[in-house]
Amino acid sequence: MTWGLLLQAVVSGLLLGGVYGLVASGLSLIFGVLRIINFAHGAVMMIGMYATYWLFTLARVDPYLSILVTAPCFFVLGVAIQKIVIEPNRAAAEHNQLLLTLGLALFLENLALVLWQGDFRTVKVAYSSASFVVGDALVEVPRLVASGGAGLVAAGLFAFLRLTDVGKALRALAEEPEGAALVGINVPRIRAAAFGMGSACVAVAGALITPFFYVAPDVGESFNIMAFVVVVLGGMGNFVGALAGGFIVGLAESLGAAFLPGSFKQLVVFVIFVLVLLFRPQGLFGGSRVR
Amino acid sequence: MNDRERNLSSGRVGRRAFLRAAGTVAAVAGFPAALRAQAREIKVGYLLPVTGPLAFEAGLALNGLTLAVDEINASGGIKSLGGATITLLPGDTQNKVELGNSEASRLIDQGVVTIIGPFSSLVAFSVRQVTEKNRTPFLLLAAVADNLTEGGLKYTFRMQPNGKAMSTLTVSNMFEMAKHANVPIKRVAMMHEEGNFGTTMGNHVEAFSQTMGYELVQRIPYNLRSPDLTSELSKVKAARPDLLIISGYYGDSKLIAETAAKLRIGVSALVGLANAAYSNPKFIAENRELTEYLFDGNYWHNPQSARARAVFAAYQKKFGTVMSNHSVQGYQVTFVLKDALERAGSTDRDKLRDAIAKTNLTDHILTQESIRFDDSGEGINATPALIQVQSGKPVVVGPAKYAEAKPVFPVPKWKG
Repeated sequence: MTWGLLLQAVVSGLLLGGVYGLVASGLSLIFGVLRIINFAHGAVMMIGMYATYWLFTLARVDPYLSILVTAPCFFVLGVAIQKIVIEPNRAAAEHNQLLLTLGLALFLENLALVLWQGDFRTVKVAYSSASFVVGDALVEVPRLVASGGAGLVAAGLFAFLRLTDVGKALRALAEEPEGAALVGINVPRIRAAAFGMGSACVAVAGALITPFFYVAPDVGESFNIMAFVVVVLGGMGNFVGALAGGFIVGLAESLGAAFLPGSFKQLVVFVIFVLVLLFRPQGLFGGSRVR
Repeated sequence: MNDRERNLSSGRVGRRAFLRAAGTVAAVAGFPAALRAQAREIKVGYLLPVTGPLAFEAGLALNGLTLAVDEINASGGIKSLGGATITLLPGDTQNKVELGNSEASRLIDQGVVTIIGPFSSLVAFSVRQVTEKNRTPFLLLAAVADNLTEGGLKYTFRMQPNGKAMSTLTVSNMFEMAKHANVPIKRVAMMHEEGNFGTTMGNHVEAFSQTMGYELVQRIPYNLRSPDLTSELSKVKAARPDLLIISGYYGDSKLIAETAAKLRIGVSALVGLANAAYSNPKFIAENRELTEYLFDGNYWHNPQSARARAVFAAYQKKFGTVMSNHSVQGYQVTFVLKDALERAGSTDRDKLRDAIAKTNLTDHILTQESIRFDDSGEGINATPALIQVQSGKPVVVGPAKYAEAKPVFPVPKWKG
């Protein structure tokens, strides 16, 4: 039975880890290029989840299909946030920019509270409760899709960063902002693209979670904190590291839950977090550049 | 210097000033008696988180208060006070301690005779100091933490069961039922959210195991924002409990029931303990298959009471939805106040406090004997009902005296 428990914990951890990884990838991308810590990331995810919910409720759009609508919309939203809110404060001190994103997060959460009240909403689709058993472990289909989808999006983004001009410009900007400007890259435009892509990423993550989770104004918070841990773990600005960090945190959480008493599982994650900061502050996979 | 100034400076009331004042008094006294009685109002303050994260539930409680006040005023107000009517003054806590205190002070300044509220135990713990200092009766609504009536307070009263009554009576009800069904309960597992509410419930279920002779094989506190509880529930399954008790809020309780079903958790029943979801009509309506046969120990109305049926019909007519247990509490606590006002025959807050302390109300809609308070202000007979979802409706299955249906126990669908 212990083996069954271990297998279940590993499976659950990997399934959740993918989602953490995708949320963190967006955060990492924004940090790598813009050098700001975006506290509004979880709030943007929450808005994304509401978008998925309303598309499903009002127009019967499948949550997974809704990504085709929400991802471009949230790219535009991210660009708008960057152009209107962040870019004008580029010259301000770093902590001011930090407070700016925190304020944005509070604004979005309270906006959601005013518009849609505090109650929990769920999207019920036919496959919401689909599951199968491997060995002794339960695999829930929507969680599997979420984790797999997160991996696919991450791979797509990776290819984009490697192979396209915009991707190369993003990496250049992350590596050496002044140099990038000197070789003729339109820096404000690429910054906006980074924020847009980060927001699209987190909206996709939100859409993937919606079939098995609830939607509420404060739903982004739990993912937001984990995403910060993951980003630090993987190395600030390291895109692939973020995905790997997501799996590590997911595994640590579920193994902690299975084998430690009480609510130690959160503790495990944050102990790892502190240890990494102490002994490998650049992150497990090295940081500070979009790779 | 004119007349008035001379009067003021000399400190004496002159003839002209006296006549003016006397005229005013005569004018007031000359009003028809009926008109004066109608103008009398008794101010009652409510303190609820009507905005913020608990806004939805608080709104339901407020509906209950409003329904009761309308009923009282429409049927002739407080008779011993010449038909005085009740006016509700609003106070919004947003579920924040500091707002609870300031709103309570403001309401008291505005002359309320009683404060009803404030929903969350955390806010209540602090507000009760304000009401005590200002000698204002404080009727608790919804808050369950045991310590709210501790500390020798004189002005705080709680009609509904506290955490201890809620948990021990719910467990007793389950055992009673299991005995009838000839299905022994030896091993119990408990999952609760790790905040004040869940931990209090968990402590009681753990302490009560001695008395009832069961073994608490797993006790798992969890973060209510956890996006995944599969590992926790696998651990519960591995411990092979006969019963799984869950004290949680809405989203987390849903996740637990769902995951337990998928894991084929293999218990005789899932039992909510003051659970925010398992007997909630909205939750049941949205999750028909998942919720069928879930149990919940919670405060409830008495389905056998004709008055309760009339109140439910009135609520349905006024608000267009089924009355919830929070609305029932709001409605009933207002009638506790009405009863005390009638007996006190006064709006003096100390006299009212004494009248509340002597409450012995038998005409009520709850699943309990008469409403009475002990010296600490705790409801002596406060009893939770055992509710089970049957055919998509939460029905009372225990205690036997109030039951409207037979419990389905053990529940086959949880047995793997």
